[in-house]
Amino acid sequence: MIELRAVSKNYNGRRVIDSVSLRMERSERVVLFGPSGCGKSTVLQLIAGLTLPDLGEILIDNELVARAHKNLREPEERGIGMVFQDLALWPHMTVAENIEFGLRAKRFPHKQRAQRVSEMVDLVRLGDYLNARPAELSGGQQQRVALARALALTPRILLMDEPLSTLDDELNRQLRQEILRLHDDLGFTLVYVTHSRDEARELGSRTIFLKQGRLDGEQS
Amino acid sequence: MEKRLTLWAAAAALAVIGLLPLLTMVTNSLVVNGVFSLQAYQALWESGSEQLALMGNSILLSLYVTLLATIMGVPLGILLGKTDLPLRRSLTALLTVPLLIPPYVIAVAWFALIGSGGWMSSVAPEASKHLATAFFGLYGCTGVLFTAFMPIVILLTIAYVGAVNPRLEDAGRLVSGWGGVLRHITLPSIAPAILFAAILVFLLTLGEVGVPTYLRYRVYPVETLTQFAAFYDFSAATAAAIPLLAITLALLALEYPILRNRTSELRTVMFGGRAHIKLGRWRFPLLALVLAWTAVTVALPLAVLIAQSWSASAYADAFARAGGSILRSLVFAAVGASLLMLVGFFGGYLIHNRTLPVWRGVDALTLFLFTLPGTVVGIGLISLWNTPMSNFIYSTPAIIILGYLAQYAVLPTRMTSAILDRVPRSLEQAAQLSGATWFMTLRQVVVPLARRGLIAVWIIAYVFCLRDLGVSMVVYPPGSDTLPVRILTLMANGAPSLIAALCVILIAVTLLPLGAVALWSGRTNP
Amino acid sequence: MKYAPWIALALLIAAAIALWRFYSPSGAPTVVVYVSHDQVFSEPILKDFENDTGIKVRAVYDTEETKSAGAMNRLIAEKSNPQADVYWANEPIRAEVLRQQRIAAPYVSPNAEGIPATFRDPDGYWTGFAARARVLIVNTSLDQRPASVLSYTDARWRGKMVIANPLFGTTTDQIAALFVLWGDERGRSFMQNVHDNGVKASPSNGDSADLVARGEFAFSLVDSDDVINRMKQHQPVDLVYPDQGADEIGCFIVPNAAVLIAGAPHPEAGKKLIDYLLSPDTEGKLALSDAAQIPLHPGVPPPAQLRPIESIKVMDVNYAAVAAKLQAIQPFLKSWVAGE
Repeated sequence: MIELRAVSKNYNGRRVIDSVSLRMERSERVVLFGPSGCGKSTVLQLIAGLTLPDLGEILIDNELVARAHKNLREPEERGIGMVFQDLALWPHMTVAENIEFGLRAKRFPHKQRAQRVSEMVDLVRLGDYLNARPAELSGGQQQRVALARALALTPRILLMDEPLSTLDDELNRQLRQEILRLHDDLGFTLVYVTHSRDEARELGSRTIFLKQGRLDGEQS
Repeated sequence: MEKRLTLWAAAAALAVIGLLPLLTMVTNSLVVNGVFSLQAYQALWESGSEQLALMGNSILLSLYVTLLATIMGVPLGILLGKTDLPLRRSLTALLTVPLLIPPYVIAVAWFALIGSGGWMSSVAPEASKHLATAFFGLYGCTGVLFTAFMPIVILLTIAYVGAVNPRLEDAGRLVSGWGGVLRHITLPSIAPAILFAAILVFLLTLGEVGVPTYLRYRVYPVETLTQFAAFYDFSAATAAAIPLLAITLALLALEYPILRNRTSELRTVMFGGRAHIKLGRWRFPLLALVLAWTAVTVALPLAVLIAQSWSASAYADAFARAGGSILRSLVFAAVGASLLMLVGFFGGYLIHNRTLPVWRGVDALTLFLFTLPGTVVGIGLISLWNTPMSNFIYSTPAIIILGYLAQYAVLPTRMTSAILDRVPRSLEQAAQLSGATWFMTLRQVVVPLARRGLIAVWIIAYVFCLRDLGVSMVVYPPGSDTLPVRILTLMANGAPSLIAALCVILIAVTLLPLGAVALWSGRTNP
Repeated sequence: MKYAPWIALALLIAAAIALWRFYSPSGAPTVVVYVSHDQVFSEPILKDFENDTGIKVRAVYDTEETKSAGAMNRLIAEKSNPQADVYWANEPIRAEVLRQQRIAAPYVSPNAEGIPATFRDPDGYWTGFAARARVLIVNTSLDQRPASVLSYTDARWRGKMVIANPLFGTTTDQIAALFVLWGDERGRSFMQNVHDNGVKASPSNGDSADLVARGEFAFSLVDSDDVINRMKQHQPVDLVYPDQGADEIGCFIVPNAAVLIAGAPHPEAGKKLIDYLLSPDTEGKLALSDAAQIPLHPGVPPPAQLRPIESIKVMDVNYAAVAAKLQAIQPFLKSWVAGE
């Protein structure tokens, strides 16, 4: 489903991803685990197409989407949703507008957009906050908006970059359950980046270890 | 695809508007009677020692003015942009006024105050004598130009100081007073803006001719002007302008390492408002200081202008003489500022994201164009656009707008680049992943978040377009002069009361629209 | 309110397009004139021309040379695609430069009749009118007065003299005229002596006049209108016509000059404007105005404070020779200024 073939990436002369090859199956829950700076977030950026590989190839559903220095499929064409580390919620838009944005971009009709927003908001249990702005929400609520936004277009792949790292234990646990439930309901492939063993244990059906930009083992 | 195409189009536009006229001038300077010749450059080389001395004078003057403008302008900008000082908006508007007046007029106003026969000579004749002597030369030039250009530092400091991540300042406040926070957190985070403001002041001073000539201080740009005015030698004038390229490259070489060595970008948290420093018991003493400063640097020369123009007949004559130049100035400046904002936005995006390999070239080109004397830019525009085929541009105000775009593109590109620095890249990436086109992302995510900064870009561009003399003077279509040009042409034997009244009108027509923009901005961004 | 900036931008663009269309040349009769004579004085004349003839005047005005490089450089830069029909020069040397650069076209106006041949190009490339005299402005507090340009080398006046920047304007013209009259060697020697006698350079004739009026210097060579203006402001100055003695060189006269531009877009309208500028009426207006110009047509009264042209001993020079000499001595003058 997602395949990286000998992918390498440099930043400012430093090799951050070094000839990494891995494969993730459809609907699988894969955790990328490793210390800070090992290249986990870069792998997500590469899969999303937000950054280009210097070497190697990236395939999604057996289609070549990127090779060295070139995207063959732009990010918006890969059917990917992403929850960023800083959540990247648009502060000037309401919760509803944040979720609706992708639907408008894909030119969904108004009625369909309204319905989908409603579904997403119910899914993440934020029905009372449709017209609130991100600044008015708690950390956990913001996380859920980010999730809802990422899932609004029914992506085949959901990338999550340390989304729960700033939350307290209780909220973290609740949201882990939420993510698992959504995965069961919607069946997307989940690629989850974390440096927390608890999160890796609970969320990943398979954990891939990264160290200094290289693969350092796997665990199912 | 659309992103690359648009950014290439922006780069191409800047190349056509700015680089082509320059290349035309340089090409023409290498051809004498149809044959390749380095004559002009040889002559420049041969007068090397004299040119070096003049360049030394110019650089010295520019350094003094830049230093003073930065040392005074940054604290003033912080006081006006980040504290609860009373009357902040009015003082900001007032302190901007010197930027709007031709520096030469400021010099004349100061001389009317302190020179022999002036106000001070009747009150303190000895002091007036000493001051008048000191006024002619480096110190007088420094004083006049520092008051003329300091508003640039103030405005840019105000524009950026309010956008510093308040959480970072809050974290600092837990362990330090505001002094430490300003020194170690706020100022470093707006260092690029301060550096840019300093560069602008340096370059504007470097290119200034009127004030040094009036105050008898010999500077390098006079060489270019002399080649034009005395010799009508365009080749020599172009050759004389080329050493300024070395100055541009030196400034860029200075800038890049400083900017590259900055620690991680300090981004604005979009969720919080700006932090205001409460001055407490210092509020009114500092207000008194700022008022005193404003009185000396703004109110006094302004008072001279108003005193000289203090009659209904002076203003009636001024309005009659100004004719349509007032409306033309407003419209040209507004159109120029809007187009600068548009081209500059994409240019700034290009530089900020380094999307295309030519980003460094675009940055260097815009800075070099700003460095060039307006006369050189103007003659370059004539060389390129004055053809029967392009007459529909050359013989219309479009040529003035092109002149503004060429000369001032550096302002919106650099400012936009700094503004985009404060919009987290992940917000754009999230929009892209959501399926938005690049234009949709710009329209619905980037521009709304950058709006406040873009308004500041428009205001700065407007002020520079409105006060422009160098380029406008050379290219304005017959009968379409702007108000600053008209003031300068009427200065030759125009009555002092007339010139003073015209300057007051210029200030008023500049501040009124700015006031309207500021008011609208204040209502929509409480 | 959300769309206010977009509406404002759309309105601006609409205004810009409207303005562009408005400024595009229309069918109404038009003449384009580039003017080096001070706008304060020249604009009223051009407005009168508009009212009298119905021909719309579109003008480009000049500034003092030290502040910019306007009309002349534009004319030269636009040579391949002229925009101007007429050039109103404030001195004939510029007109000569245009003739030499083949930017001027010959036109002998009927109103040129009566203007002395000295003040006209023989082939009609330019015609002089409404002149200034290069005179000495002196502070009235002086016991003795200078009477010649050679006073600049007189030790009596050491350090008390000022002169406008000799790289620009009528000062350059006069120095070039002296070189033509005396020859290069004597001309250089004169300038060296002037320098050694402690002369100060000011940015312009106007500044020189002000410095003398304030008593900071004893005298200066300026244009006659500079003196008249200070007199009208009741400043303590007086005027001396230099070198009026029988064996002396005479006073250098600087007429305005009307030039028809080669390839002018509106040549017929241009000729009408030249006719108007050269008319005795226009000379009379310029004499009466603060421009204080001396008419060259006989019988037209000069400004009250000035003599008629017939009663001034005029320096006998050929302006074409002066123009050529001016360009030749520029490098010398440049180094003279640098050494000042």
